[in-house]
Amino acid sequence: MATVAEPGREPVVIDEGVATRILRVLRRAPVHVALAVIGVLWLMPTIGLLFTSLLTPSDAQAAGWWQVFSEPSIVTFENYANIFNDEGIVGALWVTAQVTLGATILPILVASLAGYAFAWLEFPGRDWIFLGVVALLVVPLQLSLIPIFELYNATGLYDTILGLVFFHSAFALPFGIFLLRNFFAGIPRDLLEAARIDGASELRIFARVVLPLGIPAIASLGIFQVLFVWNDLLVGLVLAQDNKPIAPEIFSQLRQFGANLEIIAPAAFFSALVPLAIFAMFPRYFVEGLLAGSVK
Amino acid sequence: MSSTGSSTVAAVPPVTEVPPPPPPSRWRGKAIALAFLTPAIFFLTVWVVYPAFRTLIRSFYSDQGGNFVWFENYEALFTDEQVQTAIKNNVIWILVVPAGVTALGLLFAVLTERVPWASAFKVAVFVPLAVSLFAVGVIWRIMYQQDPDRGAINAGIVAIQGIFTEQGALTTAKPSTDELTGSPQGGLRLERTLAPGGVALLGLTAIKAGELPAEPEQAVTPQAIPDGITGVVWRDFKPGGGTPGEVETDEVGLGGVTVKLRSAETGDTVGSTTTEKDGSFAFEGVESGSYRVAIGRETFAKPFQGFNWLGDSLITPSLLIAFLWVQAGFAMVITAAGLAAIPRDLQEAARTDGGTEWQVFKRITVPLLAPVLTVVLVTQIIGVLKVFDIVISIVPSSGRDSATVIAVEMYEKSFSGQNRFGFGAAISVFMFLLFVPFLIANIRRFRREN
Amino acid sequence: MRKHRLLLLLALLVGALSLLAAGCGGDDESDEGAAGTTEAATTEAEENISGSIRIAGLWTGGEGDSFKAVLDGYRAKYPDVTVTYQPAGEDLPTILATGVEGGNPPDLASLSSPGVIKDFAERGALQPIDFATEGILENYSQSFVDLTTFDGKTYGVVFKGANKSTIWYNTKAFEDAGVEPPTTWDEFLAAGETLKASGVTPYSIGAADGWTLTDLFENVYLRTAGPEKYDQLATHEIPWTDESVKEALGEMAKVFGSDSIAGGTSSALQTDFPTSVTQVFTDPPKAAIVMEGDFVGTFINTETKAKVGEGANVFTFPSINDSPPVVVGAGDSIVMFKDSPAARAMIEYLATPEAAELWAKRGGFSSPNKSLDDSVYPDDTTRKLASELAQAETFRFDLSDLQPAALNDALFTELANFVKNPADIDGVSSKLEAAAVKAYK
Repeated sequence: MATVAEPGREPVVIDEGVATRILRVLRRAPVHVALAVIGVLWLMPTIGLLFTSLLTPSDAQAAGWWQVFSEPSIVTFENYANIFNDEGIVGALWVTAQVTLGATILPILVASLAGYAFAWLEFPGRDWIFLGVVALLVVPLQLSLIPIFELYNATGLYDTILGLVFFHSAFALPFGIFLLRNFFAGIPRDLLEAARIDGASELRIFARVVLPLGIPAIASLGIFQVLFVWNDLLVGLVLAQDNKPIAPEIFSQLRQFGANLEIIAPAAFFSALVPLAIFAMFPRYFVEGLLAGSVK
Repeated sequence: MSSTGSSTVAAVPPVTEVPPPPPPSRWRGKAIALAFLTPAIFFLTVWVVYPAFRTLIRSFYSDQGGNFVWFENYEALFTDEQVQTAIKNNVIWILVVPAGVTALGLLFAVLTERVPWASAFKVAVFVPLAVSLFAVGVIWRIMYQQDPDRGAINAGIVAIQGIFTEQGALTTAKPSTDELTGSPQGGLRLERTLAPGGVALLGLTAIKAGELPAEPEQAVTPQAIPDGITGVVWRDFKPGGGTPGEVETDEVGLGGVTVKLRSAETGDTVGSTTTEKDGSFAFEGVESGSYRVAIGRETFAKPFQGFNWLGDSLITPSLLIAFLWVQAGFAMVITAAGLAAIPRDLQEAARTDGGTEWQVFKRITVPLLAPVLTVVLVTQIIGVLKVFDIVISIVPSSGRDSATVIAVEMYEKSFSGQNRFGFGAAISVFMFLLFVPFLIANIRRFRREN
Repeated sequence: MRKHRLLLLLALLVGALSLLAAGCGGDDESDEGAAGTTEAATTEAEENISGSIRIAGLWTGGEGDSFKAVLDGYRAKYPDVTVTYQPAGEDLPTILATGVEGGNPPDLASLSSPGVIKDFAERGALQPIDFATEGILENYSQSFVDLTTFDGKTYGVVFKGANKSTIWYNTKAFEDAGVEPPTTWDEFLAAGETLKASGVTPYSIGAADGWTLTDLFENVYLRTAGPEKYDQLATHEIPWTDESVKEALGEMAKVFGSDSIAGGTSSALQTDFPTSVTQVFTDPPKAAIVMEGDFVGTFINTETKAKVGEGANVFTFPSINDSPPVVVGAGDSIVMFKDSPAARAMIEYLATPEAAELWAKRGGFSSPNKSLDDSVYPDDTTRKLASELAQAETFRFDLSDLQPAALNDALFTELANFVKNPADIDGVSSKLEAAAVKAYK
């Protein structure tokens, strides 16, 4: 039923005939169908992962995961039980949570401060330094692994949560500063001028005016960072040892000759749930923030 | 009040005193800027700039670190076969992926605009981003398995085929002796010609267990009949092998096989029959002449088993598909946001002016989306140059020579046992230099905007 | 001006950090070393050994638990030492590479390749274990000590062995085809043909894991060319283009026909080792035979529905052209990166039969320790394969593991190419020779 509201009147209800409605849906049908098919196909690999995680190693090796449809009884949760019984994995989850938290909050703070400085503070060489920061976007983090490994050993940061937090935070900065600087630049000048006239210090302006306005961009930066740090394998592999995050911990559990699907599949699926939950909770910010960072 | 440094010092009576201190605002402005920037500068310098610098220096030394070797490592870049392949592959990636991802993102963003349940679709497309790249590799590695019993994609292909084509009863069978010529794919025939009263022996081996008759019956050589041609199709094998070409005890007859009788001169099929459970068959009422007995290729028909995704020729396309699967969600979300920001009236105006959907799309929507699409494109290009996890986890070691990329080569040379840190460093520097054109492009764009 | 000062500060910072890292990196080892040598003299006072050591190993899961049981025996002997086991699984090469490069390796580690041990030794990363050689020789044959000896110094004790001259098969497939386990190569090839005719593909090849191919090559080569040539090839005294190599490759090619290997050639190239084993024991099996070492037994028991003795069994690699019985094997050695009394005690401990027994009785373990009473092995199959290894008259270590890493990689790649194209024997051997020349430079 379509409704049309005229100002000052009760909405007028237009009675669409059933036929009209059906026609409307049918015209859109190809689009609906196409999207539905694409959507299902898109989900298939992940569904495959889920079912693989629910099979014993010998079943998983014997045939494809779709055998669960013909023989539902072979589904088992023992793989999940096994990995959670392993204290190594539970400990690693806790480590990962801490690292992810730290490596999300810290770069947000640092990038916000820097982004604001590049957007609204005047100082010599500002634009060149900003370009330099953006240039760092292209440095792959593999490059830093060995030098930082040596540095950490010398300074005692090796195998610490703080060490991982710092590394991830640093590499989040080029994108973060880029994003936030562009976003902050879009804040109306008068707002800031007004606050300045009122005698507010820069820090206060930053905290009371800029940050709140920047929440969409900050939220999206946060989400990308959580996704990235939570799933990181390489950095944790090189810079941690007894306090490994989840991905390297799983990696080190892989047996030399094993097929290891019974470890990888449940761990990977479970690992994916965390960022998914976050995405499900913040879609609006996500979208708005990205939009503002790219479109002026 | 102004922090840009213009001095508005009030007129001071000429007194021989110390010159007034610089205006507090200018000095204070820079100090504040420094304060805001210091954390970022600190982190970037220690974790990003310093290692980059060190790697650069390291690349001029030998693999073990002892000797200064100038540009030897860089020369090796151009002679090392694997690095050359890697560079070539990265070029392919750059040509295909960024454009592909952007296009897919645009397509999805546009299609989902009109659909009420868009969020469900968006979540489905976004899920791959949440799964770690290593797990993505594992999933696709399994899906790409060539064996339709294990790999989902080929299983799907075989299943779809099964709707349209019939699978033969004996897909793996082969002739047990040279008497049967031809090939299973083309059909087998008994070379020896027969006249009425003749008996044909068609022995097959290599029949897999699943295709043996459920209720096996001993194969029987039928009697000859005067005006017909008889014969038997049987499994010419018993434990230990037996004697090929002879029907022996413990050898099983193959029922339900279509046997054809063909004229020896013209090759036309004059009769067709199906074997009994003991493998025997008979063509009756045969006119005199010379004939051949054949088993048609339908008996051996094996539907297309799917592609060899992980083989050398398809491995890079397979990787590209997996990567697209992950990145399309990223592009879609960003593009959808951009799309949502386009004012409706512009599009409506164009429509009422008589433009078709396509024209509206091309002339209004796409140009307005340009900034968003650029972000997607640039991010993808950078990501593709660095691509690593997905290649490492999907490619089997036999495929590494065909599918390798630069980031993988850097890792292999430095970390996985070869310990060629000098060379690895040179590869890293090379990777960095590849980005220089994009840096310059970004700088230009930035300058133009300001 | 301020801008310049800022840049100068940054440059100094970067410079200082480089010096710091370079300087600090080297110190740790020399300190440890100095302390170690002065205390070495007092090893008689065993109970006084204290400290803490970290040992990195590739055994995880069930195997990791078994190794921990072995370590418990050490802890009982030296209660004042804190021993941390770091199971590294697939990580091990990365951990060791970055550890050594960054100046902070574990005290001890397990290494499967004497070639890699040699690489590390030549870089000065390993401490020689000559203090323990006498004790080791009481329990091991000389050839095991020679394995980890370079330039006159020994660097590791071979703790866990593997008998690679074994072939595993699906018993039902053999029964259905009427095939008996062969003892000669010709019988083996004939069995393959019979299996094919019975409707089962004979051979399962995990070519995605190159080492399965080198193992096959070594078993064939040792039997066709003999132990002396094997040793010469292992040290590159004869080239890979030698006739003996081509002859061995020719024999290998006989099992590489596309209709003889499970899934055909293209599929074999994607099949990894674990799958190459499991696919022999599915119902119906994709192949009847998998040619790999004794560790396959444990794998069968845990990853498939078959059990050794029930659906699965093993026979010794057949002789070729009447070759005498020989064993190709491999082993995991324990090496020492940082010297200390506790680390030395660990090396000496691991060479004893007591240490070996703690794992042997749990299964999944073959000890090269000839003093070990083989009644401790939990089942007949393990006992048979383990004693074949320990008591072998002619034993040779896995040749690819003896090579420098670069040549090892080339072997994997080129042999995989050989599976793709088994007719190109000359091509494969010349490419291998080219890689060897580069690696041995």
